[in-house]
Amino acid sequence: MEDLLAYLHFVVLPQFIDALIIGVALALVALGLTMIFGLLDVINLAHGELYMLGGYAAFTLLGWGAGYWSALVLVPVLVGLVGWTLEELGIRPLLPRADRAIVTLLLTFGVSLIFRDVAQVIWGTETRSVAAPLTGITNFAEVFVPTYRIFVFSAGLLAIAVTWWLVYRTQIGAVLRATAVDPSMVASFGIPIRLVYGFTFLYGCGLAGLAGVLLSPIYAVFPTMGHDFLVMAFAVVIVGGMGSIIGAVVAAILLAQVQGLASLWIPPVWAETLVYGVMLLVLVIRPAGLFNRLGEA
Amino acid sequence: MLQAHQQVQATDIQRRQSGTVAARLLRASRNSSSNSRLLRQIALVSLLLAAIFPLFGGSFFTRLAIEALLFGCIALSVDILLGYAGLLSLGQAAYFGLAAYVAALMYLHVTQSFWLVLLTASASVGVFSFLLGAVAIRAKGVYFALITFSVAEILSKITHNTRAIGGSDGLIGIPVPSIPLLPGLEIEFANNYVFYYLVLGTVCLLYLGTRRMLNTAFGSVLRAIRDNSDRVPYLGYNPFWYKLLAYVMAAQIAAFGGLIYPLLRGFVAPHLFGFEVSTKAVVMSLVGGVGTLIGPLMGSVIITFLESVVGSYTERHLILLGIIFIVFVMFLPDGLCGLAQRTFGAGRKVKP
Amino acid sequence: MIRITDLSKSFGALRAVNHLSFEAMPNCITSIIGPNGAGKSTAFNLIAGTLRPDSGRVELEGHDVTGEPAYRLAKLGVARSFQITNLFFGLSVLENIRFACQSLESRNRFLSRLDRLSAPVRRATEILEEFGLDESADELVGNLSHGDQRRVEIAICMALSPRVLMLDEPTQGMSPAETAEIDTLIKSLAGRVTVLLIEHDIDLVMNISDHVIVMHQGRKLFEGPPNEVRASPAVREAYLGAEHAAA
Repeated sequence: MEDLLAYLHFVVLPQFIDALIIGVALALVALGLTMIFGLLDVINLAHGELYMLGGYAAFTLLGWGAGYWSALVLVPVLVGLVGWTLEELGIRPLLPRADRAIVTLLLTFGVSLIFRDVAQVIWGTETRSVAAPLTGITNFAEVFVPTYRIFVFSAGLLAIAVTWWLVYRTQIGAVLRATAVDPSMVASFGIPIRLVYGFTFLYGCGLAGLAGVLLSPIYAVFPTMGHDFLVMAFAVVIVGGMGSIIGAVVAAILLAQVQGLASLWIPPVWAETLVYGVMLLVLVIRPAGLFNRLGEA
Repeated sequence: MLQAHQQVQATDIQRRQSGTVAARLLRASRNSSSNSRLLRQIALVSLLLAAIFPLFGGSFFTRLAIEALLFGCIALSVDILLGYAGLLSLGQAAYFGLAAYVAALMYLHVTQSFWLVLLTASASVGVFSFLLGAVAIRAKGVYFALITFSVAEILSKITHNTRAIGGSDGLIGIPVPSIPLLPGLEIEFANNYVFYYLVLGTVCLLYLGTRRMLNTAFGSVLRAIRDNSDRVPYLGYNPFWYKLLAYVMAAQIAAFGGLIYPLLRGFVAPHLFGFEVSTKAVVMSLVGGVGTLIGPLMGSVIITFLESVVGSYTERHLILLGIIFIVFVMFLPDGLCGLAQRTFGAGRKVKP
Repeated sequence: MIRITDLSKSFGALRAVNHLSFEAMPNCITSIIGPNGAGKSTAFNLIAGTLRPDSGRVELEGHDVTGEPAYRLAKLGVARSFQITNLFFGLSVLENIRFACQSLESRNRFLSRLDRLSAPVRRATEILEEFGLDESADELVGNLSHGDQRRVEIAICMALSPRVLMLDEPTQGMSPAETAEIDTLIKSLAGRVTVLLIEHDIDLVMNISDHVIVMHQGRKLFEGPPNEVRASPAVREAYLGAEHAAA
């Protein structure tokens, strides 16, 4: 019995905490993805690269002497602006097309390729590291967690809370939710839909950028970091329900735990495959995901 | 007198009607999107160019052309689904990779018989595609794309993780067999030119076979499904079986490419299942012209050669690929064949 | 002919169709009318295989076809048109009709080359001429006028050689002149098939129907020949009541 408790305490709990932190960061990326799909019916395959951009932006800003904290504020804004530009230049012209789901998917895929190579051109192919602003270890219930990671967890949670507040408690959020259900009705109220779409991209990509900054001291920054994270983010969005805010958060935490805890007993690479298997299962059994789309009852 | 006149009138009407009917029959066949006169001409010209290519291409480029043809098979399979049934599959590479690995494993451990390997690969792909298709096709719209995408990714991951079949390095050193065509007549793959013409000939047959198969009542059901899949059941067709048949067919074509690939390059690796291969196939189809069947093959040649040429100058060929994607998606959604059709006046469009 | 017995369908708490029973006789035009929300479209969807009923029976010429999927019903001779035009917009008029005609061909001819299948094209040509669409045969349906599109909606149903023709608001969005033409057309078709019609245009209904069924809140309120329906106080109240409620 004591062995079991010790096992739970010193093996499972640290893994659980670790996965929780990853889950929160994953949720940030998935949130943006799901918001964009929920409102525009667009699958943004470049979303992972925006996360990557966040990491590289942090690296560059710190290299220029800026403090981590200013980077934390600036980077999401910058990445958000990149996302907004993408929407204005690339996505919006394609929205009227009947096959919009396919063409926007291909467009964002093309953009992701370009971003990836441009990143390599600007920053080279080696892995870059970003210094964590908080050093030291915190003792959390006899588990030693790097203090910075606790910060990441809190910051992520805060961002999620802000997002929830924005979507469900503000006027802007009401507009967003209404647009997800019936854009033409919203437009007929005189609300400029183009701004709504632009804002969605701005905010969603900003979240991805934020995740990029937050995780850069933990995982370092390298050109393919976007792609790996994106597939996980997709799994989250699918399981949680495409277009569902709650779904993205719940599924992110859940799937991160599945992968994290499974890694204790099976090789980590198989744990990752397991997550994909869960995604496939959900797609087959309940393609709409666990939760309903934004705006739907 | 009146009766005779009426008789003449009746036959006149009949003749006019049958004239109309005959004309319409011909048009019906020609309007099938892959079968128009312009596209047949394009196909013919492409074949001629392809036939004389090795004469001045040289060894390296001939092998590259073979690779283009093999990847073209994936693009062709994407086109069957996208251009005809209206299904976007982001996982056709799964069948390419599956056939490639089955072939590689069999050549390495089981047999040197080309025909046995072909049968096994084809059968495995057939079973797999039937099962997966039956599940995926029931899903609507974008979910079909996501299911096909995730299956391909899972296969890629599994191969990546399994040491026994090569892991992340894949399998190398695959022996190249010879094909016994007839008693006494064996074809060696070692000769690049023989290899090339063999593959070209087979791809040609696959293309013609596909075109013929889609220029039928079956093909017109698929096109109707693509245009408005909701209405189709009300006309007496159960779309499920048509989509499934198209899916299994497409998988076989992608599998052919995979079957030959290990013989060309001598190795197989997990990325063959990957998202990039699948999506590149979609782009090849887009560049050439979705629904034209010859377009994807052309697109494959263009993209494969571009990547190779650009790749020899810089590592950054992804930028070029990305720009091509974007340009075609935004400005040339009909692809090059569509451009040709508009230039030579053969296109039909629904006015917005 | 079609017989509906005790047909019911609920969506959550909403009883869209509530124990509906009626018969549509062969070579007659039977119309279903009723205020908005009466359940007419749902009833149609239940008969045509779009929705499965919670309970009740649908019989086609004596055979039980309850709950059969749409494609089976189409093969059994039920052709249904749509209120919101639902054609193959990217294909020509001829191709639309021909495709419906092809469905009658034996499945063995499935892989025959298109230019060998003369029977569907011949039949399609006849149908086009009958419906006055011969001129626009090669036009893409998406480019046709609304009135012409509605005509194709009916034509594509007749191309199936149906026994039952179900028309869902066929004159939706049409001008009075066009409506009169459709009037005559439907009357001429009734000689060959059983016609079941949903309409909002009361004048059309009264003009051409042999039998009228009035639905209200999912139930059958009244049924009978047009003149009786017109005279019925219950019907008037249902419509006026609905109008008052909407006002």
